[in-house]
Amino acid sequence: MVTTINQNAGLDANRPHLKLDHESIALEATGLNLYYGETQALKDISMQIASERVTAFIGPSGCGKSTLLRCFNRMNDLVDTCRIEGCIEIDGEDIYHPSVDVPELRRKVGMVFQKPNPFPKSIYDNIAYGLRLQGVKSKRTLDEVVERSLKKAALWDEVKDRLDDNAFGLSGGQQQRLVIARAIAIEPEIILLDEPCSALDPISTAKVEELIIDLKESYTIVIVTHNMQQAARVSDFTAYMYLGELIEYDDTAKLFTNPSKKATEDYITGRYG
Amino acid sequence: MIRKWFKSGDPWIWLIGGAVTISVIMVIGLLLMIGVRGLGHFWQPPIVEATFTSDSADEQRNVLGTIRSLETVSAQSVRESGVSVPPAQNFVDRYLFKLGNRDLTGQDFEWFIADRLSDFRYPLDAIQLQRREWGDFFGYLEAILEDGEVVAEGEAAFDVLAERLARTSEIMRQINHIERYEIGDINKKIEAQRLERRRVELANNLAPEEKSRRFAEIESNVAQLNAEYDVLFTELRAVRDRSLRDALVARTPDGRTVTIPFANVVRATRANAMDTGEKLVEYGARFWEFLSEYPREANTEGGILPAIFGTVMMVMIMSIVVTPFGVLAAIYLREYASQGPITRMVRISVNNLAGVPSIVFGVFGLGFFVYFLGGNIDRWFYPEALPAPTFGSPGLIWASLTLALLTLPVVIVSTEEGLTRIPKAMREGSLALGATKSETLWKVIVPVSTPAMMTGLILAVARAAGEVAPLMLVGVVKLAPNLPVDGEFPFVHLERRIMHLGFHIYDVGFQSPNVEAGRPLVYATALILVLLILLLNLTAIAIRNRLRERYKSDSD
Amino acid sequence: MEEHFHQHISRQFNQELESLRQDVMTMGGLAEQMILDAVNALINGESVRAEQVIENDHQVNEMEKQIDQQCIQILARRQPTASDLRLVMAIIKTVNDIERVGDEAEQIAKMAIRLVSRDRPRNNYREIEAMGSHVRAMIRDALDGFARLEPEVAVQLKRQDEKVDAEYEAILRQYYSYLVEEPRNTSRILDSIWIARSLERIGDHAKNIGEYIVYMVEGKDIRRATAEEIEKSLVDATH
Repeated sequence: MVTTINQNAGLDANRPHLKLDHESIALEATGLNLYYGETQALKDISMQIASERVTAFIGPSGCGKSTLLRCFNRMNDLVDTCRIEGCIEIDGEDIYHPSVDVPELRRKVGMVFQKPNPFPKSIYDNIAYGLRLQGVKSKRTLDEVVERSLKKAALWDEVKDRLDDNAFGLSGGQQQRLVIARAIAIEPEIILLDEPCSALDPISTAKVEELIIDLKESYTIVIVTHNMQQAARVSDFTAYMYLGELIEYDDTAKLFTNPSKKATEDYITGRYG
Repeated sequence: MIRKWFKSGDPWIWLIGGAVTISVIMVIGLLLMIGVRGLGHFWQPPIVEATFTSDSADEQRNVLGTIRSLETVSAQSVRESGVSVPPAQNFVDRYLFKLGNRDLTGQDFEWFIADRLSDFRYPLDAIQLQRREWGDFFGYLEAILEDGEVVAEGEAAFDVLAERLARTSEIMRQINHIERYEIGDINKKIEAQRLERRRVELANNLAPEEKSRRFAEIESNVAQLNAEYDVLFTELRAVRDRSLRDALVARTPDGRTVTIPFANVVRATRANAMDTGEKLVEYGARFWEFLSEYPREANTEGGILPAIFGTVMMVMIMSIVVTPFGVLAAIYLREYASQGPITRMVRISVNNLAGVPSIVFGVFGLGFFVYFLGGNIDRWFYPEALPAPTFGSPGLIWASLTLALLTLPVVIVSTEEGLTRIPKAMREGSLALGATKSETLWKVIVPVSTPAMMTGLILAVARAAGEVAPLMLVGVVKLAPNLPVDGEFPFVHLERRIMHLGFHIYDVGFQSPNVEAGRPLVYATALILVLLILLLNLTAIAIRNRLRERYKSDSD
Repeated sequence: MEEHFHQHISRQFNQELESLRQDVMTMGGLAEQMILDAVNALINGESVRAEQVIENDHQVNEMEKQIDQQCIQILARRQPTASDLRLVMAIIKTVNDIERVGDEAEQIAKMAIRLVSRDRPRNNYREIEAMGSHVRAMIRDALDGFARLEPEVAVQLKRQDEKVDAEYEAILRQYYSYLVEEPRNTSRILDSIWIARSLERIGDHAKNIGEYIVYMVEGKDIRRATAEEIEKSLVDATH
């Protein structure tokens, strides 16, 4: 159970950063600096992500929130010029240690992207992809996992009769939930969502948000969003980032009613930076 | 007003539309011309008889044959060729007759001034014979002979004609079978024994007595084979004698009587007595013969089967070679190589390779594949056959490899194109599920880019099937005795030379002793070539579309 | 602090918030005027003026409805967050309090009309006049604090409210003694007690508005905190 050390949100004004109990930390970044070539994209980020909670990253475009998210499953490794300092620990292990098996890490830290990106395969094969990579061949196991994942992603009733159809036949919102189902099929501990609703209509967005709230029962979720209302709706904690810095990180309720930093205030109320 | 019209953009639409129309008309015109001329060749024209009056007007002769063309020329040029034309006349019509009977008159075709021809007739008893030698025969059927005895005469002869022709054709097929397969088989075995003997001679590690034992064994084998050969040869002689039993007697237009054995006749048509249905059947038979028979008479008669076969084989082997190479190269360039100046240079080089004249590839193929690779293969694996080359001479495999090299850039470029088009998100999606780079590549990227690879292959096939120049250096000949695939082990003979439709066109059209006879064949062969490429492409496109449907995604 | 409201990327939003604030000030000003008029009507026995106050109360009620409507519009369309959200919430509550102030002023006016026909006390309601000017000052301070976004005003109001409460107690005691001394004036004295009670209520409302200002500016809920506690937390915030 997560308890913030200072539960009294009444009279304590100055709390830029959240501190969590040790056992409720799913991921901890310490002194994280990230460079793309000469440009520094993340500046000395230290933060703790609460387990089985939804943490939202907000901030203007280019503030580094997606970059930070992609650090958590080492997606930034794909960028040649990217260099990282500091450490990120999951379960007490530094994920940037040279001995870390990156595919293994990515199985533990799933990710869902901005645009739905199903593979051009059947719905079934999409969900089974991750398991098959791990060498699971048993049809029974796969069937079970596909059904369970789709049910968790609230998509089962919509697709159960056409599991063999191409995934691209689904609507955008369904595709995004399919991709989430695909991510949870391999039972990750943490799910990273990179602007998961930016390409969706409001109804689909609502469904995905509902799903996110359901999923936090069993997963730690980190979501990057441009939509502040969305962060306010789905998250328990919110981090505001600006120009690569973590400006403020706090309870969502606190951050959206009474942020400690003027920069945060200006951003969330829509003022000139 | 004009300015407004220009601003509206209409002129551009007209310009573009016009350009497209012209292109389409040109393509359709090309296909129509090849189609009409090529397909027209197989239609049986009527046999015309006319009376020709010579310059001096005192000599008259009968002309019998089919009219190939009618053209109008200036009187001057006719006069210069020594034919007198009335001075008032500026233009002269003249007919080109196909007269046949090359063995009797020395020429197949002859021009006749239209004014000198009179009394056009279409005699019902005129026949046209396609012969194995000396081209066509035109004349009148007199009688059918069997062992020199007349068995049928006059109208009755026509009834017997087809029957005897069929009988003789059957015998000819037997002869062909004995010559080509049974005797051929024994010849090959004898050749194998010779090579075995040579191998034993070359083997240094054998004791002299062992050698002589082997030699004796080979001698006895050869003696046995020779005996078999003698038996077959006797049989062949008997059959050949039988084939000469039937003959026909015919009268030529100038009144001579000739006897032609059926063994020399491929098909006989009584053109003027045929109705449309019979002509259609004849048309089908001739067209099928064209597709399914070996060429005769320096390629000007008979079929083009070896050329079709050779072209298809070559393109297929080329595809089998070029696809994996091109795809792997593209994958490496796009996925693994670091995108630095070196990679960029490699890519530019690959693109430029597509612009190298194809004959240069031919020279390279001859120098590297045939002489270097082939020569070394011979030295290492077939030393007993030397100095006669096995792989060290132009052949199917080298032609295919040269073409593979020639079309490699196309496959690389279009595969790379396909790989770049795959959205980054799809790649990331796979990696985020814990896939390694190679798993992502083989399970997601490559399947999705197969349509692009097929596009590359389609372009490669289209280019390869039409390429002629380099092939002349590395394996294509005007007449190949054997197909590269037959019943003999190892069934596919990659070292054999092949015939090729493109080269066949060139050969028939420009290298043939009888250009006039070959001309329709040029069109017909060109048509077959176009149809073949079309067929190959349509197959590939059908496969590609299936793949596209299967890997359909938003980005397409 | 004032400028803060003018920095939105959406100028339309700036204008909406600005006009909302203006309306609150206008409404507050009207309520303040009503207190003055009602008390003066009592002292000078001007029933016409008192009628005017009653008339004005309808206007105040109308304004409350209209401002509430504007706030709902902003909540629905702009989904304000942080200080904007607190501003809107504070306005909704402030307007409610001002409306009550208006009601109290109306009550006083009604009493004043009743008392015109009666004998006047010797001191001509001096204690009421004093208390009236006190609470009017509180309302004015509250509105100034609201306009300038000064949370310190809350402390001041809290203390003044305590004074007004004491004043009220004193007036009550005085009036109880009058009740015994002058039984024939019982009815007038009882009305006077009602007036004093209304004024005391107005003081409470002014104090409430002060609390809303603190919430609006600092995001803190100081209801039922003592003046010292409020002062302390405000001092903390500035460090």
